[in-house]
Amino acid sequence: MGFIMDGLDAEDYDRTYSDRDLLRRIISYFRPKLGTMLLVATMIVLVSASQAAIPALGSLAVDALADGTIGQVGWLLTAGILVAGAFSWVFNFVRQKNSARVTGDVVLRLREDAFDAVLERDLSFYDETPSGKIVSRVTSDTDDFATVSTLTMDLISQTLMVGFVTVLLFVRSVELALMTLLVVPIVVGLALLFRRLARSSTRRAQRSLSRVNANLQETMGGIAVAKNFRQERQVYDEFGPINRQSYQVTLRQGFVFSTIFPVLFLVAGLATVGLVQLGGTAVLEGGLSAGDWYLFLQGVSLFWFPLTSIAAFWSQFQQGLSASERVFALIDAPPRVVQSAAEPPGRLAGRIEFQGVTFGYDPGHPVLRDFDLLIEAGETVALVGHTGAGKSTLSKLITRFYEFQEGRLLIDGRDIRTLELGAYRSQIGAVPQAPFLFSGTVADNIRYPRPDAGDEEVRAAAAAVGGGDWIDALPNGLQTDVGEHGRALSMGQRQLVALARLLIQDPAIVVLDEATASVDPLTEAQIQEGLDLVLAGRTSIVIAHRLSTIEHVDRIIVLDHGRIVEEGDHAGLLARGGRYCEVYNTYFRHQSPHYRAGTGFVSVAGGD
Amino acid sequence: MTTSQSEFSVSGPRHDRRGPVRWLWSHLRRHPLHLIGFLGGSLVMVVLNALVPQFTGDAFDAVLGKRGEPLDALGLIALALLAIVLARGLFDLVARLSSEVLAKRLERDARDELYVSLLGKSQTFHNRQRVGDLMARAANDIRQLSIMITPGADLIVDSGLTGLVPIFFIASIDLRLLLAPGVFAVVFAIALRRYMKQLNPVATRMREEFGELNAGLNQAVRGIEVIKVTAQEGQERLRFRANARRYRDSFVKNGLVQARYLPTLLFSFAMAGALWHALYLQSTGAITIGELVAFMGLMGMLGFPTQMSIFTFSLMQIGIVSARRILGIMTAESEIEQRADGHAAPISGEIVFEDVTFAYEDDEDAALRGVTFTVRPGETVAIVGETGSGKSTLTKLVPRIYDATSGRILVDGVDVRDWDLDSLRSQISTIEQDIVLFSRSVSENIAFGLGQRADHEAVVRAAEDAQAAEFIAELDDGYDTVIGERGVTLSGGQRQRLAIARALLTDPAILVLDDSTSAIDSATEDLIQQAIGRILEGRTTLLITHRLSQIRWADKVLLLRRGEVVDFGTHDELITRSRLYRRIFAHYDEVETDGAGAGSKVLAGEQGGVR
Repeated sequence: MGFIMDGLDAEDYDRTYSDRDLLRRIISYFRPKLGTMLLVATMIVLVSASQAAIPALGSLAVDALADGTIGQVGWLLTAGILVAGAFSWVFNFVRQKNSARVTGDVVLRLREDAFDAVLERDLSFYDETPSGKIVSRVTSDTDDFATVSTLTMDLISQTLMVGFVTVLLFVRSVELALMTLLVVPIVVGLALLFRRLARSSTRRAQRSLSRVNANLQETMGGIAVAKNFRQERQVYDEFGPINRQSYQVTLRQGFVFSTIFPVLFLVAGLATVGLVQLGGTAVLEGGLSAGDWYLFLQGVSLFWFPLTSIAAFWSQFQQGLSASERVFALIDAPPRVVQSAAEPPGRLAGRIEFQGVTFGYDPGHPVLRDFDLLIEAGETVALVGHTGAGKSTLSKLITRFYEFQEGRLLIDGRDIRTLELGAYRSQIGAVPQAPFLFSGTVADNIRYPRPDAGDEEVRAAAAAVGGGDWIDALPNGLQTDVGEHGRALSMGQRQLVALARLLIQDPAIVVLDEATASVDPLTEAQIQEGLDLVLAGRTSIVIAHRLSTIEHVDRIIVLDHGRIVEEGDHAGLLARGGRYCEVYNTYFRHQSPHYRAGTGFVSVAGGD
Repeated sequence: MTTSQSEFSVSGPRHDRRGPVRWLWSHLRRHPLHLIGFLGGSLVMVVLNALVPQFTGDAFDAVLGKRGEPLDALGLIALALLAIVLARGLFDLVARLSSEVLAKRLERDARDELYVSLLGKSQTFHNRQRVGDLMARAANDIRQLSIMITPGADLIVDSGLTGLVPIFFIASIDLRLLLAPGVFAVVFAIALRRYMKQLNPVATRMREEFGELNAGLNQAVRGIEVIKVTAQEGQERLRFRANARRYRDSFVKNGLVQARYLPTLLFSFAMAGALWHALYLQSTGAITIGELVAFMGLMGMLGFPTQMSIFTFSLMQIGIVSARRILGIMTAESEIEQRADGHAAPISGEIVFEDVTFAYEDDEDAALRGVTFTVRPGETVAIVGETGSGKSTLTKLVPRIYDATSGRILVDGVDVRDWDLDSLRSQISTIEQDIVLFSRSVSENIAFGLGQRADHEAVVRAAEDAQAAEFIAELDDGYDTVIGERGVTLSGGQRQRLAIARALLTDPAILVLDDSTSAIDSATEDLIQQAIGRILEGRTTLLITHRLSQIRWADKVLLLRRGEVVDFGTHDELITRSRLYRRIFAHYDEVETDGAGAGSKVLAGEQGGVR
């Protein structure tokens, strides 16, 4: 019954705060604004009081009419309504203006804290949490938090108003007041009932809607194919039932929503009828003044709106609270990578040494066990092996994105845990499979690691990669806009930009995860040329997917289940007929320019 | 000489497509019963609603006026009120449900109309259209139409009538009472206009800034690895703070504008004025106390449209914009001119490009320039070039998805513009990079091109030739396994082989194959390449590929760079004479490209020595 959990997508780092903690945390954000908050609170009371004054004045007017004294007090009452209306507007203005300011400031602070937390989090956090969900915590959830504060103020003012009116009614006639109050549980009960109905029908609608949408997406894509093969009728016949199903589902949901207000309105109407009859009788019997009767009739409509909205508020209010809980969980998530000291690393030579390192993403299931490896400064090492062999794990430990459980990792002979992390990382160039580009121009992206790098430097770096041919192919050269996440560039071009960016960063160690995605051969050649240049003179660890790469590195390390099973260079390993040959047959054989389906196997010796 | 007739249509009503409003109306008009239910129901409901204060007024008159038997009169009035309230509830419900039906039918019918219209568009149109765009139209814009009716039109009709009907009732009490509501209506309209004018830019800016904040944050989160590894947290923090602060400022400004919403103040002025005026009239004896109470009740009704008016207009606006966008697609003309007496014949497969230049738009740079080459029947030509060099554009000119700007393309010696479009296109098959399969059984997908007419044996044979039989056999229901959204998910390589089987069954003379994604492991690659090898047999093939071996073994290689042909010939020819081509193979030990700097003269002397 997975759909029950729909929308309840808890993350690992989520925690439940006790109501008191949550409240205290929320209040701590509002505390600096105490003065303004008090002003707002005062205004809320005044607004409610002046709004409640209008029906009270109306009731006085009716009394005066009945007594025949209206001639004397009429203008006073009119002036009273005018003044009450004007005050109510002014108070409301002051309230809204100040509460917008308070909310704006509080949300800003919360957002800043949340973003700082985002920058603080380890990379393991990002590997585990989809980026969209993190983003929504910083923007949408903080926004929901803002609604909480607005709603709270609205709720208070509505409740106050209902309270004022209730007091007024009880002062006039206890019986009729009780009868009016009878509407309250009915309206609230109905509102809650509808909320439940709406929720279940919405959930059903959403589920079926996502199915309909998925189908629609497919049929839309299918049009082009249908045209290609001239099968329009076939595709149309498929579309019909989908569209009709969508109609049924949404109509049913719409019906539920459309019934709510007429029914609530009907209840209010029935209450009015009751009050006309009972109140009128009471007036005739002399138990009630005409003005009070009028006030009760007004009371129904005054009750009606706040009550329905209070019922609606509650769920939003709870949503807002859980949103703030999510934001605080993001801020409070504990770091996993812990440094024991922050010594400046100085300019690194790039010698990397794993000493008995044990590491598992889940400590119970180590990926690396007592792992030893020495990479000399300036050496180029390729890591190969099946998926899950631990290739990318090694690079994540070197970039210190993950904390290992046992052993030591030495960089230039110094424990990686004692280094100042920012300064250390800035000497590591990491190129992932799909390099990330920031929106802006190509030049902006190349300059990113060193914002003060001059135009000439950027141009030189770009020209050095792949002979600079690729820049000519861009519509505006280095000033080409890369689009959102670099989408305007091809995958190959993005890799070229990442290589140029690496040149500006000038790292001592390069960690490169070669792309498995296919790139056109011309760009591929430029990338290979660029790599030769970028890797020269630096310690390089390449997670290799390209035949041309493994043919040229200093040393190939074959990994299997977190252990080194073979080492050597391409030719030597091929001749040996060991595990490397098996890996070659599986991943690299078909990349050979001479490849033909089913051929080109190298023989694997022994029973491996 | 052009064919303007739609390629697909269903019987049914035609809708007026001359403008978004007319189009919407032509849809709504088809459901007169619900339309009457909605409009009539709303009207009756509002009228009945306006009667409530009237009767309350009468109740006051009965009680205070002391005419006859006040208790009986009160009882009658209460009964009448009860009837009114019940009837009001009923009509309210009828109106709401009718509008709901209208909204959802509009949604359903508009989607259907859009779909039929899309099926009727030419292949040219669809090859040019992005599926994502169509999807956005079919899902979001059409949904917006329904939202425009409920709650959009619903609220407009409701608040509009609630604004108008009480005025009539007030007039029926005493014409002089119209003074206060009349003045209010005029001032209200002016104030509302001013408010909208102030709010719109602020609200738009606020939305934009929220979007920017979101986009910036999204980018920082997605690029966190780069940020951390280049230690640029400070730069990102500053950027985010600036964005967040800008949004805060807009938020506060927006709050300020909303706080200044004048109509509520005007409304209380109107109420005071109305009371004063009514009291005066009552004192002169022109109206009774009950009428005064009724009048004030009616005035109170005007409060509703005062509150609602802002919200409704934006819903209508969004709906109209959506309708215009949908119409834009349905009325789009993208036909290619076709000769009525076009050449129709079986194609043997010769393709000739003669100095072909092509630009997507007249004012744009040409995507292809002076392209000339000849493909003999049955040859496989590997097209090699960077992204954006014009590879796929070139392949689209052959089945006339686009017409060349200048130059000629000949198929079997006949200019493609002189071919009968149907005859030409039905003999050219395209297998794209992104393969569309339907949520149907495997065999239906393979037989798709023949419209279910293919017999099972032929399907199995095609699957076997496409190296797909093995994995199909491993599926739960074999050839009857449903795939796609409602069934099993297939890997990229499996989809590709199904598409090849589908194309094999239709047996085209010319094949355009985009094979630019490659499998990671050799075993899958072996299967795909065997399937491709099978489908290339006996057809002219334009093969867009990134694989060195496919380039290496193709009959000819067409090397494109920025829309121009750099070289065209066999692998051996190119490796000897083209520096650019040699560069492609330079990083592989297996291919002797000779000393990279040695230049082509040396190589030219030892032709044939290079394999």
